[in-house]
Amino acid sequence: MKMRSPSAAMLWEVWRVTRVEAAWKLAFGIVGGLAVLALSATFAPAARILLYLPHIVGWLSLAALNGGKPGFPLYLQYTRPVRTAVMVGLPTAYLTAVTFAIYLVSAFLLREASGYPFSVLPAAAWIAALTVVLGTIGSSTRSVVVLMLGWLVTLFAGGGFIGARLDSFPKDVNYPLTDYALIALIGLVCFGVTVANVARQRCGDMQTALPSTPSGGLWGWLINLLRFPCPTSSATRAQVWLDLKSSGLPVLTIGVALAIVFPLVSAVSGRIDAALNADPRVSCPIKECFWARATPPLFAPLSVFAMFFLGGNAFGIRRRQGRAYMRAFEVTHAHGTAQLAALKILVRSVCVLAAIIAIGVSAWISVPLLGDAVFIQMWNVPLSSRLPAINGAIAALTWYEQLSLVVVAAVGVVICVAAVAVFGALRTRYSRRIVPPLLLLYGLVLLWLAVGVRVAPDAASQFHLDVVYGAMCWIAAAAMVFTTVYVCRSGLAEHVLTIHYASGAVAISAAFGAAWLTVLNMAGARLAGTSAMDVVWMLSPALLPLTFSMLAPWSLSRIRHT
Amino acid sequence: MGQIVDVNDLSRSFVGKTALDGVSFHAAAGRVYGLVGANGAGKTTLLKHLLGLLRATTGSVRVFGLDPVRDPVGVLSRIGYLSEERELPEWMRVDELMDYTRAFHPTWDASYARELFESFALDPSKKVKELSKGMRAQAGLIAAVAHRPELLILDEPSSGLDAIVRRDILDAIVRTVADDGRTVIFSSHLLDEVERMSDNVTLMHQGRVTLSGALDDVRRGYQRSRVRFVEQLDQPPLLDTALAMEGGGRTWSVVHSGSLEQFHHSVLALGGEVVESRDATLEEIFLARAGRNRQQMEVA
Repeated sequence: MKMRSPSAAMLWEVWRVTRVEAAWKLAFGIVGGLAVLALSATFAPAARILLYLPHIVGWLSLAALNGGKPGFPLYLQYTRPVRTAVMVGLPTAYLTAVTFAIYLVSAFLLREASGYPFSVLPAAAWIAALTVVLGTIGSSTRSVVVLMLGWLVTLFAGGGFIGARLDSFPKDVNYPLTDYALIALIGLVCFGVTVANVARQRCGDMQTALPSTPSGGLWGWLINLLRFPCPTSSATRAQVWLDLKSSGLPVLTIGVALAIVFPLVSAVSGRIDAALNADPRVSCPIKECFWARATPPLFAPLSVFAMFFLGGNAFGIRRRQGRAYMRAFEVTHAHGTAQLAALKILVRSVCVLAAIIAIGVSAWISVPLLGDAVFIQMWNVPLSSRLPAINGAIAALTWYEQLSLVVVAAVGVVICVAAVAVFGALRTRYSRRIVPPLLLLYGLVLLWLAVGVRVAPDAASQFHLDVVYGAMCWIAAAAMVFTTVYVCRSGLAEHVLTIHYASGAVAISAAFGAAWLTVLNMAGARLAGTSAMDVVWMLSPALLPLTFSMLAPWSLSRIRHT
Repeated sequence: MGQIVDVNDLSRSFVGKTALDGVSFHAAAGRVYGLVGANGAGKTTLLKHLLGLLRATTGSVRVFGLDPVRDPVGVLSRIGYLSEERELPEWMRVDELMDYTRAFHPTWDASYARELFESFALDPSKKVKELSKGMRAQAGLIAAVAHRPELLILDEPSSGLDAIVRRDILDAIVRTVADDGRTVIFSSHLLDEVERMSDNVTLMHQGRVTLSGALDDVRRGYQRSRVRFVEQLDQPPLLDTALAMEGGGRTWSVVHSGSLEQFHHSVLALGGEVVESRDATLEEIFLARAGRNRQQMEVA
């Protein structure tokens, strides 16, 4: 491609960075929507959500240029002879147009395929506006807190407003021109704000001028919150110190902070709701609204996911400007790969587990403060009144059953952390080999479901779902066994795994297996008289600790010794 | 002298591009080895293989007689390494960085580290992210040498260092390591630096070792001569051992290998004479072996 002007070159750069993401956003909406509609026409509202979903996360590939940090992602252009307005305007215009086109094409196709009245033009315009706002927030600030708050407000308040506008005018032709004018105004304001902030970053914001580092901002502050000296007595202790300081303790600190916030919010939420419900200016479509009281039950589960997300990159893989790598500083220290992998995953897991326990205890304390009404409204369960019964049921378990629950929960957290780390490492090393087979597999499943439903809409769907379930069950179990055996053999042959390490992994896996069987027994699952497929389905999780304890050092060795 | 590094017939490709092509490289204890080559010649790729950061796909790599991929602890515990990118944990203070590195190396020499801190005038209480590029290089260098490694690997060590630090301190560090009977391998594209610091030099070009040996032997093996011909020449004269030529008309400057006598005969056969000769500098040899002149001659 010949780039005859700076503008063409800049557009090419943005296209090059975002083209894969644009493709999956388009595919996600169309394939996901069609799959949902193929199962049943009553799922059309869910298909609408699938159309919106890829766009509410913004442009991830562009954000990755900055290592996921706030700030203008195309900061390498600062040294180019281009005006800031052009530097901001061109990518913004391109991404807005692409977002608009992606939604337009997917919604139009789904509308034609299903006959469901998906909003096309107005929704496309509003989604493009949402992308512009999200982009403005991401580019205009270097504070993670401001970024998160801005995104939350935009997604909740803005999303609610957009939803209400679209629902008010179900047909495209009735849509008022004032809304398009408002969208244009939002675009102009966002452009101005972004240009002003990027110009500020360009002239003197040293943090932006330099490649951003994971130690800046809130994360850097959390790292330095707890100071304790690095032990020099052994390499293992020093490595634990490094992983604790750089990633474990910040995650734990965030978890503890959330754990403190939930009971406080729960304690005052009743009064806030009472005041809002008593205010005649606030409209509530039901008898009693739960604005503040709904917050802890909504955010507590999200916080648990956030802990896994923050604690996930245990191997510390860095992604910047299209490059994924481990820092030479860490991989050139004298650690065995198995020992390094185990240390990194264990330190992260302990911190994530501690954070989750803190959040769990906090949620437990908060439930009585919220009362039953909010839980009945949200989940149709009087959770507050049932707490004593739940406590009694746990107390009634034998010590062995309680221990099994603790083992399963603790090892489960370690497996989750290890899984994220392992898949991150494999993605870094073998992305081109992993993605196509996965896409092919999902494509075949979707095709199978779609064909089945088309042939016999009533009778065939259950049969086709059973086939998919059975196939997935056997494939997953076989993949785990094969992977464990292959990685174990290969790891021992390459000296990545040691007999000592493998023996430890087998012992832990055996303990988890025993605990898992106990938990199955407690849940009333019986293996006798159950089909082979269900037995495999129930027992295969018992193999997960062994699989991931073998895979973790192996995958780390693949990025340590590329 | 025992062999510290043995690389035999090492090849490596990255997505269709050959980074190393049948490279063999050997290093003995107590010597300083300079790797020279243009950008993309394969210097860093070779060093990464020595550290086990890259797995040998063909050929073999042995450091201290061990495979650095199979036995990273055995190899890395005896190596000090300064990377080209100077990537250090940004959040650490410099003293924490030293403590962390010290934990991996029981041989850490605290007084030597202190001495180096004073030489560089580096503040140990500063955070890595507050350091300039040169100061990062200094911190990385202290972390690499303070445990008195048996093998010191420096990837472009001068990058970011000012001329005074480069000449006075880096040279002193490298010489101290070598005088202690330990080995230094460093890559550089600063030929004067390589000439000043190295005992042995290895020239890499397009993934191959084109020249390797003791610096003095290498220098003695190449001469730069000025030759004059009776007639004007439009094209460079075809001389047997010539590697590079400059000039035109009747007078040409030629970098050539082999014996001077053989060169004299070659010039005489074309009706010319050698006006003067001297040992070639490393830069002249490098340009002759890897530079544009050579490519032009090969095309001709």
